[in-house]
Amino acid sequence: MRKIKVLVACGAGIATSTVVMKRIEDLLQDNNIDADVQQIKIAEAVSKQEGADMLISTTILPTQYKIPAITALGYISGIGADKLDKEILELARSVDQ
Amino acid sequence: MGKNDKLSFYVKTPLIFVQESFSSHIEIFEQVYEQALELGWVRSDFLERIKEREDMFPTGIQLEKFGAAIPHTDAECILTEFVAVITNKKPVQFTSMEDKNKKVITDVVFILGLNQPHAQLEMLQSLMKLLQNDNILEEVLAAKDSEQLLHAIKKNEK
Repeated sequence: MRKIKVLVACGAGIATSTVVMKRIEDLLQDNNIDADVQQIKIAEAVSKQEGADMLISTTILPTQYKIPAITALGYISGIGADKLDKEILELARSVDQ
Repeated sequence: MGKNDKLSFYVKTPLIFVQESFSSHIEIFEQVYEQALELGWVRSDFLERIKEREDMFPTGIQLEKFGAAIPHTDAECILTEFVAVITNKKPVQFTSMEDKNKKVITDVVFILGLNQPHAQLEMLQSLMKLLQNDNILEEVLAAKDSEQLLHAIKKNEK
């Protein structure tokens, strides 16, 4: 399986995305998925989506993207975090196929 | 975990507001701004920038039992880092982080005055852990002064 590229975004690229990025890195690593995880501001997502496999955001998605996009507030509130893990893993595993 | 990585290191008494009755999130921002400006911890454009950012990227979070918000702004407005904590005797409405049409009635607000993106992972993780712990959160909300509030936050770090 090739290395996948994940964008993690929040409004300022400063607070919530820092926490979510770590969570995603650990999640993918624990599941032996080789990934390059990059922290961005949501405003940069349009220009950075090229070559990326998915976008994970803690903030409202202001537009539509060419790559799959998931809002992941559950990692902050704790509500539905397990479901998010599952969704992201499924998406990551489907990348190569 | 180093001392500087803890939430309690960033929560400083002049920016703790306990059992307050603000009429809007703007009023909370104004109160924190006034105090932080006087301390020299923020630049004078902080107020405008945090209002703008909250409009564009709302930070309300509906938790299991409570409502919270974590407003923050661009790094360059912050001269000395802090986390301001406001507990609301009278709940204050914020817009949800994930849906602009959804409102969150907040019991507690953490204003993040951070200027080193990526650097405070552990502090942010302990904040998120706090948000996800109803028991500690309940204690934070029940605090009658800043000392009690800090005590509750430190409990979360043990």
